Amino acid sequence: MTFNRRLANRVFFYALVVIAVGVVVFPLIWMLGTAVKPNGQILDLRASLWPSQFEWSNIVKAWNSAPFGRWYLNSVIFAVCATIGQILTAMMAGYAFAMFDFPGKRILFYVVLGGLMVPFTVIIVPVVQILATFHWLNTYQGLIVPNIAFALGTFLFRQFFFGAPPELGEAARIDGASEWRIFYKVYSPLARPVIAALGIIAFLTNWNNFLFPLIVVNTTSMNVVSTGLSVFQTQFSTNYDLITSAALIAIVPILLVAIVAQRQIVEGISLGAVQ
Amino acid sequence: MLEVSPARRKEAGARDVPASRLPGRGRWIRPAARGQRGRPVKQPRLLAYLFIAPAVGLTALFSLVPLGLAVHRSFYGGGTNIFQTKLDFVGLQNYSNALSSGGSQALEVTAIYTVGFIVLAMGLGLAVALLLNMKLPGIDRLRAPFIIPVVVPVVATALIWGNLFAPQFGFINRILEALGLHQADFTSSPSLALIMVLTFGVWQFFGENVILYLAALKSLPVDLLEAASVDGAGPWRRFRFIRWPLLRRATAVILVITTLTGLQTFTQIYILTAGGPNGATSPIVYEIYNKAFVQFNTGQADALAGILFLISLVITVIVVATIGRGSRRDV
Repeated sequence: MTFNRRLANRVFFYALVVIAVGVVVFPLIWMLGTAVKPNGQILDLRASLWPSQFEWSNIVKAWNSAPFGRWYLNSVIFAVCATIGQILTAMMAGYAFAMFDFPGKRILFYVVLGGLMVPFTVIIVPVVQILATFHWLNTYQGLIVPNIAFALGTFLFRQFFFGAPPELGEAARIDGASEWRIFYKVYSPLARPVIAALGIIAFLTNWNNFLFPLIVVNTTSMNVVSTGLSVFQTQFSTNYDLITSAALIAIVPILLVAIVAQRQIVEGISLGAVQ
Repeated sequence: MLEVSPARRKEAGARDVPASRLPGRGRWIRPAARGQRGRPVKQPRLLAYLFIAPAVGLTALFSLVPLGLAVHRSFYGGGTNIFQTKLDFVGLQNYSNALSSGGSQALEVTAIYTVGFIVLAMGLGLAVALLLNMKLPGIDRLRAPFIIPVVVPVVATALIWGNLFAPQFGFINRILEALGLHQADFTSSPSLALIMVLTFGVWQFFGENVILYLAALKSLPVDLLEAASVDGAGPWRRFRFIRWPLLRRATAVILVITTLTGLQTFTQIYILTAGGPNGATSPIVYEIYNKAFVQFNTGQADALAGILFLISLVITVIVVATIGRGSRRDV
């Protein structure tokens, strides 16, 4: 292959990648432009791509049109508590399934894996009925507790602890450490990379969850960002600029989280594919 | 990545155990279960049960019991709201009623949508992964943008999509106008509405397939590809006869994930079309939601949920049967 042909190839493939990237990020650029372009330029296509001046007050206006602060607080409470619960229960169960022998172990493990077989969309009606009998609709516990069971996480932590060196625990046991201490002080720190990767994926999944909060919550003050945004849409249905500003408010913080935790997200996605 | 790093294991003073013996279930007896000189030590049973109790209990209460309830209730009728408890046994009537009143259309929409979703999301995912896998300077930096749609809230990006496809002022229609074409109404034409939600689904999700395919490509044996290259195999033949066969397992896993994601599609439907026009974009999950929480017909909703469960189960079983053995990567 001659040098020139190689160069032409390279340029061609670079161009393909750049076009793909452009298509993927275009909607977000459009969002930014539409959100901050001055009023009265709604018909100007160029203004949505590169506004003549940036009207940041549009975003303030959207923020003030709905209780976004409250929705953000609810999202944080929901996503953080559910994620901590998921990681903690999955790690403990995975550890016990990997490290201990006890009667009924196999059956109980299949019970947990059974959770993987039941898509949430299949059980939305009974889950709402169960939460209603607990009087948990429109509450934080109603949002959080049903999301804590984490079958995939239990499975992955079990695999991880199978691979962890048993000598560490034996040494600690000889030194007289309790089983809880061995779990907490010896083995948990080893799992840190798994916790980070699974934790960020679980957090983003909870944060972006829409169907579950939609059916469990129906008051404005208990809405999370995603359901609040859909209410916002129905209220301001044709006010595209305002809706786009609201979408921007919902996207930017998560975008920042994603940029910071990019490596863990990639690892978490790959982990989830081990089936 | 799940593996404890070699350095760390050395630090722990562990023996060199062949990686193949480390994971897995079954016969592998943990040394920790035995005391010195092979005497079994007392197993901390109570602690073990305490450790698994939250996971087992919550799975049972919020997955398995609801599944049983949904299946049970799909055979009962007379309920006009989801909290009604006194119901009559009606056999398969909910199923036939649900299918005749929108259910079969929903299954059809689900099938069309899911097939289109699989073809596009997997094809584009593989194509972009192959591009990003090329040895070009700086190409690693271009991976990140593909992850963005996967992680940011779907409700928000679906709203942007609605804006792009909006009548009159939307980007797509402005482009059509500039090209001298007719404007298109993406909410009132069944096929255009389906195109709108399908393109969104693919845009939103295919980055995940890019990541998975890229990871699989990076793990392929380099020497094999180099040998083929030396023997004069061009890029296409290297892909067709070396990469593609080696990617088969990754493709199977990605196929499962993509299929289940396509089947579960809900949020963008709710935001963009609300299932319309006339149910043309209402897949089964949206129909379940619609029956239960808009029409308050829980019997029919549960019947559709039972059908969805069967579909997911069949897919899972087929996949486990075909790639089951050896599907667990050595962790």
